[in-house]
Amino acid sequence: MAGYTPHLLLLGLVIALFVWEHFFPKAVDKFEDNLLITLMMLLTLVSFGQVVARYFFNTGWSAALEFTMVIFSWLILVGMSYGIKHGTHLGVDILVKAAPKPVAKWLAIFGASTGLIYGLILLDAAWLQMIGIDTRSGAINYWSKMYKVNIGTEELRWPVFIQETFGVKDRVQRWLVLIILPVSLALLSFRSLQAMVQIYKGERNMVIAGHEAEDLVNENKDVLKDV
Amino acid sequence: MDTLILFSLVLGFLFVGVPVGLSLGLSSILYVAIFTNESLSSIAISLFGVGTHYTLLAIPFFILASSFMSTGGVAKRLIRFAIAAVGHFRGGLAMASVLACMMFAALSGSSPATVVAIGTIAIAGMRQVGYSKDFAAGIIANAGTLGILIPPSIVMVVYAASVDVSVGRMFLAGVIPGILAGLMLMGAIYVVARYKNLPAQPWAGFGELFAGAKDAFWGLFLIVIIMGGIYGGVFTPTEAAAAAAVYAAFVALFIYRDMGPFKDEPWVLETDSQESVTGFKASVYGVTFLLVALILSFFALSDVEGITLTIRFQWSCIASIALMLCYLCWRGQTTSPLRMAWLVGSGLKIWSRNLCLMMRGFFPAIGGHETKQVILDATKTTIMLMFIIANALLFAHTLAAERIPQTITEWMLSAGFNWFTFLIAVNILLLLGGQFMEPSGLLLIVAPVVFPIAMELGIDPIHLGIIMVVNMEIGMITPPIGLNLFVTSGITGMSLARVVKAAAPFVAVLFVFLIIVTYVPWLSTWLPTLVMGPEIVTK
Repeated sequence: MAGYTPHLLLLGLVIALFVWEHFFPKAVDKFEDNLLITLMMLLTLVSFGQVVARYFFNTGWSAALEFTMVIFSWLILVGMSYGIKHGTHLGVDILVKAAPKPVAKWLAIFGASTGLIYGLILLDAAWLQMIGIDTRSGAINYWSKMYKVNIGTEELRWPVFIQETFGVKDRVQRWLVLIILPVSLALLSFRSLQAMVQIYKGERNMVIAGHEAEDLVNENKDVLKDV
Repeated sequence: MDTLILFSLVLGFLFVGVPVGLSLGLSSILYVAIFTNESLSSIAISLFGVGTHYTLLAIPFFILASSFMSTGGVAKRLIRFAIAAVGHFRGGLAMASVLACMMFAALSGSSPATVVAIGTIAIAGMRQVGYSKDFAAGIIANAGTLGILIPPSIVMVVYAASVDVSVGRMFLAGVIPGILAGLMLMGAIYVVARYKNLPAQPWAGFGELFAGAKDAFWGLFLIVIIMGGIYGGVFTPTEAAAAAAVYAAFVALFIYRDMGPFKDEPWVLETDSQESVTGFKASVYGVTFLLVALILSFFALSDVEGITLTIRFQWSCIASIALMLCYLCWRGQTTSPLRMAWLVGSGLKIWSRNLCLMMRGFFPAIGGHETKQVILDATKTTIMLMFIIANALLFAHTLAAERIPQTITEWMLSAGFNWFTFLIAVNILLLLGGQFMEPSGLLLIVAPVVFPIAMELGIDPIHLGIIMVVNMEIGMITPPIGLNLFVTSGITGMSLARVVKAAAPFVAVLFVFLIIVTYVPWLSTWLPTLVMGPEIVTK
């Protein structure tokens, strides 16, 4: 059973999120928005700061590149579930829109279910053996290995005060950086499941956006209609 | 057979409404799980690895810069400048719209944003002087597609990252075709205008042209920072993009003040005296010139030995003080040094008021609600795009691992394709694909398959990239899934079919353009070779 600790922890995380969202939906929305904004600002400011430091003062933070890349990865991974929740992932919607209502509904549910399958396979593909596909491992497996060997990242170091207070090694552990991978996949699965339920209940039509500018067009809908 | 399953999975998923990213990703994962022995850990970890693609890191920054540039008055300023420049030709307002779209495209790199920002103002303007709504909408829908061809362009960054060519070369390669496309559209407009006897604007004089240019300067300088930074050998494209994002935020918040806490705070109040305004303007020209001179000399002379910051600073200072003095002579109508000093001194009043305002409002501006909203919008676009890119890379990886591109290459070569017929095939493939998929995603799927064949046939990789981009452009304005058609139809309230019809004549122009670009490689390769030297093609 010990091998399943990460699985259970992830399940616990998803349940915690579900409960939190059930009671404070606005707070979760805000938290997610702010998390993404913070990541984006960090990414920009560190990159820009590095440009200024390097070209104007001939100095720089040696780990800046690795830091921005980690932040960028986090941004992309956190964004997967965010996109499902807000329906911003692009898709082709002609057939779904043209299909009769009940068919469209089931197509939309299928569309959402792919997110769930995708997330679950990448988390741990062992369950595919039940349907006769011989494969194994996945993100959880990889992460556990990293946790066990406990190696550090290449350049990222903890600030000295953290090293001293917590007595950690000077280099940031790789498992800590990688933790977002299983977490984000679990969140993706959760949001997809949620979307399936919402579509089934009729609270939502689709999981995809037909084109990238839907918001933009809605904001400016028919502004020139009468000119 | 396996290959066929992979492709039909992707297409099947796509058409039943699975998100594009998931269609590509899930098909690859299933393929790997069922047909290969590869561990799924390595697939999962490659998802994390997308962020470590240094070239792709430029994408969020370009999107951020574009979001800040689309926030308000930039479009209006560009249109004013464009009208002052070409408005006096027959059909001038339509030509000015094309020119404004080209400039805005260079700043924003996003076609839908260009259509909305320029379209909402320009279509209304064209209607007022008597153009038909269809004509106006058709022009904007077409000119808006130039966004992905005129550098900086996100699609080009994606192409460069996927086939490993230089982003700088791709950007330069887009310059001549971009200008040519703009000119061809304007030419077509001129012909139609002659035929339909469309009105021309009165020539507003060089004063208005200069005033318009001045007003648009801060926005357009963004292009100088990006291109100058890259070709001066100073920045990598990613660094240039990061600098551009911060610059765009600065201009939008503090200089143009289209958003944020200073929205209703003009630089110069009506109560300011004539003298202090003259002095203020003189010092603004001086400071602006100083900054521009410093930045440009930094780009141009960065690798010249013996020119230090101090030397550049001294020369720039001298030149900018000279400029100030000239302005004061001209506008202040004085030659006495005392009077000049007094004018500048009274201008400091305006400076201090604005600087105080900016200091007090600095953190509210950076962390304000509007700024956060712009950043969030940019982040959403980034996420949407990067999810597709991440999965398309997964898909491309699966293709490569199964040696599918090689198989297709062998087949195509044995079928007797030469470069001429091959490019026709590429065009058709991309035009068809462009009907259904978002440009960056399609590019990431097609490029790894097509690229090795093209290299085998001796086609220039940069040239191939430009052909692909132009195909994507046409995909945006052809039904059933043309992004710009949707957007134009959305903002004008015209039906999709009517927009398609309105856009059709100019789409024909772009088709001619595509043929020219495809079979005249010189257009794409001349400028990059001139600036960056001949490229080394590794097969």
